[in-house]
Amino acid sequence: MTVVLQQVINGVVLGSLYVLVALGLTLVYGVLVQINFAHADIVTLGAFSAYFFMHGIGGGYLPSIAVALAVGAALGWLMNAVIFAPLQKRGSELLPLIATIGVSVMLENAMLAGFGPIPYAFDSPLSNEVIRLGGTFITWQNALIIAVSVATVALLYGFMKFTFLGKALRAVSQDRETAGLMGINPDRVVMLTFVIASALAGMAGAMLGPVLVLTPFAGTSVIVKAFAIVIIGGFGNVEGTILAGLLVGLIESFTTQYLEPGMIDIVVFALLLATLALRPTGLIAERREENV
Amino acid sequence: MTAPAPSALLQARGLCRSFGGVRAVHDITFEMPTGTVFAIIGPNGAGKSTLLNLLSGVLRPDAGTVAFGGADLTDTPAHRRVRHGIARTFQKIRLFKQLSAHDNVVAGCHVHCAIPAWQYVVHGRAFAQNQARCRDEAARLLAFMGLGGRAQVAAGALSYGERRMLEIARALATAPRLLMLDEPAAGLNAGEVEALVDRLQTLRQNGLAVLVVEHNMDLVMTIANRVLVIDYGQPLFEGPPAAVQAHPGVIAAYLGEAR
Amino acid sequence: MSSAQASEPRRAASAPLRLRRAAYLVAALAIALLPYIFTGAYWRTNLIVCALNVMLAIGLDFVLGYAGQLNLGQSAFYGIGAYAATLLAMRLGLPFWIAFAGAVALAGLAGVVLSLFAMRLRGHYLAIASLGFAVITYQVLLNWISLTQGPLGIYAIPPPPALVLPGLPKIDFHDLAHLFHLVAGFALLSYFVLDQLVRSPIGETLTAIREDEVPAAALGINCAAWKVFAFGVGSAVAGAAGGFYAGFVGTLVPDAFFITESFTILAMVVVGGMGSLIGPAAGAILLTVLPELLRGIGDLRLVVYGAALTLVVLFLPGGLLQAARLGVARLMRPDKPR
Repeated sequence: MTVVLQQVINGVVLGSLYVLVALGLTLVYGVLVQINFAHADIVTLGAFSAYFFMHGIGGGYLPSIAVALAVGAALGWLMNAVIFAPLQKRGSELLPLIATIGVSVMLENAMLAGFGPIPYAFDSPLSNEVIRLGGTFITWQNALIIAVSVATVALLYGFMKFTFLGKALRAVSQDRETAGLMGINPDRVVMLTFVIASALAGMAGAMLGPVLVLTPFAGTSVIVKAFAIVIIGGFGNVEGTILAGLLVGLIESFTTQYLEPGMIDIVVFALLLATLALRPTGLIAERREENV
Repeated sequence: MTAPAPSALLQARGLCRSFGGVRAVHDITFEMPTGTVFAIIGPNGAGKSTLLNLLSGVLRPDAGTVAFGGADLTDTPAHRRVRHGIARTFQKIRLFKQLSAHDNVVAGCHVHCAIPAWQYVVHGRAFAQNQARCRDEAARLLAFMGLGGRAQVAAGALSYGERRMLEIARALATAPRLLMLDEPAAGLNAGEVEALVDRLQTLRQNGLAVLVVEHNMDLVMTIANRVLVIDYGQPLFEGPPAAVQAHPGVIAAYLGEAR
Repeated sequence: MSSAQASEPRRAASAPLRLRRAAYLVAALAIALLPYIFTGAYWRTNLIVCALNVMLAIGLDFVLGYAGQLNLGQSAFYGIGAYAATLLAMRLGLPFWIAFAGAVALAGLAGVVLSLFAMRLRGHYLAIASLGFAVITYQVLLNWISLTQGPLGIYAIPPPPALVLPGLPKIDFHDLAHLFHLVAGFALLSYFVLDQLVRSPIGETLTAIREDEVPAAALGINCAAWKVFAFGVGSAVAGAAGGFYAGFVGTLVPDAFFITESFTILAMVVVGGMGSLIGPAAGAILLTVLPELLRGIGDLRLVVYGAALTLVVLFLPGGLLQAARLGVARLMRPDKPR
C-alpha cells in the first residue's frame, strides 16, 4: 500500500511540473490558436539560467527561480514580437508552427554547442532533505514543486476570473474580433499571454533542473508529454490541462514502477493517439463547431 | 416514406437540426422540380444557411430526409452528393484564393474525370483529352459568368462581384442538376444583380434547377417560381412570389414585433 | 500579403513539355557524370546523402506543399523503410529487391495508418499526432531489442547485390559511384512520378484540399481519401530512401531516425520552397552540401538549419524558389520601379 501511495506522490509531483509547462502551451493556444514549438526550450533555458545564477554567481535557490521566471518572460515577449505578431497578419495556420520549429532546433543546438551534452548537476539545497509521512517520503524539493504549482494555478485562476486583464484574455480566446471591437487590444493581450506562459515555463525549468537531468534537451523530454497533456485535456482548456497533467504524471509514475521506464513515452503517446482518434477535442473539452 | 412526385427533383421532408439547445431548423418540408428557381427567404437568423448545409450534406439532420432524383441522400456525405448532381456556393465566399480564376473552375471539373489510373503517371491520350475538355469547359464557364478576360488573375485579387460570379462558375463546372446559391446577390450593385438574374434565367431555360437563399427581394420576385419563407427555423409560408408579399405573417416576421 | 503578390496566382509550374524533357535529360546526365567529377569517398558519400535527402524532401513536399498537411513523421517512415528492408533481407533471407519492395510497402502502409488518424484533425493536431507517431516509432526501434537489437544496432548490412546486364561489365554497388547512380537514378524516377501526378488532376485536387477543404468537398472531392493517398505516397518514397540508406551506410542504429531528422527534412522543404517539387529538391541539395562547404561549422549544422527555417518563414515564405523567381523577374525588368 505504501508503495502505491509513494507512486501517487511521485506522480503528483511530476504531474505538477507537467501542468506548469502545459499551462503555458494551452494559454497561448487559447488566445492565438497557435502552438509555440519552442516552449520546451524556454523551459530548458529557465533551468540553465537558474543553474548559472546559483552555481555561477552564487545566488540562492529560491531567487534563482525568480530569475528563471524573468528569463522565461523575456523570451516569451521576444518570440511573440519577432514571430507570432508579424505572422498573425499573414493569416497562415501552419507557418508560425513551422517557424517555431526552426527556433527550437536553433536554440537546442546552440545550447548544445555552448553547454555541451554532458548533464549538469543542478543541486538544489532542497533535494536532499526529506519529509516522512507514514511509510512514504517526499523531498522538500518535490514539496516545493507541488506548493508552487498549486499556488500558481490558484493565482492564475484568480487572475482570469477577477481581474480585467484576465477577463480580456478569456474574451480574446473566445472571439478575437469581437473582443477587439469591445475596446480590448488583442495584440496586447496576446503579448501578455505569451509573457505569462513563458514565465511559467521558465519557472518550471528552474524546478525541473534538480529533479530531471539538466542537458540542452531537458525541455524536449518534457515537451512531448506537455503536448500530449494539452491534447488530452483539450487545447485552450485550463481545467482539462490540469487534470490531464496530473493524469500523465500518475501514469508515468506507475509505468516506471511496474513496467520499464522506456515504455513511458510509448504509453503516453498511445494514450495521445487514442484521444486524437476518439475525441480530438480532448477528453474534457467542449466541441468547437466550424461555421460554414 | 411516400414516393416523391415524378417531377420533383429535390425533396426535403421534416428536416430538423439543433445546436446545443437551440433549434436552428425544425420540420422543414418542401419539393422542387427541375428547370425552376426555388427561393428560400426569411429574416436574419431564420436558419436559411443551416437548411442549405443540411441539403448539401455539410451538416447531418437530427431528423428528416433529403431525397434527390429519387435517391435518398440523407446519409450521403457532402462530396458524394456532388456526383449525384448537387452543387453549391457559400455565403462567405470560399474561393481558392491563391489559385487563378481558371484554376478555381478547373478544380470543379475533376469530379467527372474519366482517366485510367496509370495515365496519371504516364500522360496518355485519355489524359490529354480530359485536360483539353477541362480547360475548354472552364473557359466557357468563365465567359458565361462574365470573367472571360480575368482567367489568369488570382482569385483573391478579383473584385467582390467577380468573386461571387467565379464561385458560381466553379460550382457549374461540376455539371450539376441542382445549383444551390447562398445569398448570391449579397454585396452586388444593381447592375451586377441584373446580370446575375440574366444568367440564372439562362440556366433555368437550359433545364437546371436553382435553389436560392436570398435577402434581395428584387431578385427573388423577378426570378423565383416558388418561394419558401422560414422564420425561427420553421416554415412560415410557401407559394408563388406574388402571394408571399401580401401574406401578413411574412410581413410581421420581417418588420417584426418587439422581440 | 501585399496586393502585388496577391495578383500573381500560384499556378502549377507551367514550363512547356520540351523544356521539361530537356531538364530531365540534363539531370540524368548530371547524375551520370557527378561521381566522376567529385571523386573520392568523401564527396561520393555526400552525393548519395544528397540523393536520399532529395527523396525524403519531395516525399514530404507532396504531403505538405501540395496537400497542405504538416507531417512531422517523415523520420519514422525513413526508419521503417530502413529497418524493414534490412530485417526482411537478413532475417527472412529475402533477396534485396523483394525486401526493398516490402519496405516501401510497409512504410507506405504506416503512412496510410497515420493519416487515418489524421482524417478528422486540423493542422496542429495532425502535426502533433505525426510527431507522436515519430516518437513512438523511435522508441519501438530503440526498445524492441529482440527485433532491432536496439541501440547496439545492426551491422554488416550489404549494399544491393551487383547487377549483371548482358554485354556490360558487372555493376558492383560497393563502388560508391555506381551506388550513387542507383540511388540518384531512383530519386530522379521518384521525382518524375511525383511530377506527373502533380501536373494531373490529382495535383489540382490536392491543391484544392490545401487551400480550403470545405469548398473542395462541395466540388465532389473526397478530402479524407486524398489526404490518405498523399500520405501513403509521401511515406512510401521515404521508405524507399530508407531501403537504400541501410545498404549504403552498412550499419543501422535507431538514433539515425530521431525526430530531429523530421525537422531537418522540413527545413529542406520550406527553405527550398513549398510551392513546387523543384524547390524542395534544391533545398535538400543545398542543405546537405552547404554544411560540408562551410567546414568549420560542423557542430552548428543544425543551428544553421533552424535559423534558415525560421528566417525563410518570416521573410521569404516561398523559399529559394520565390527568391529565384524574384531574381528572374528583376533581371527581366531592370528599369521598373518596385
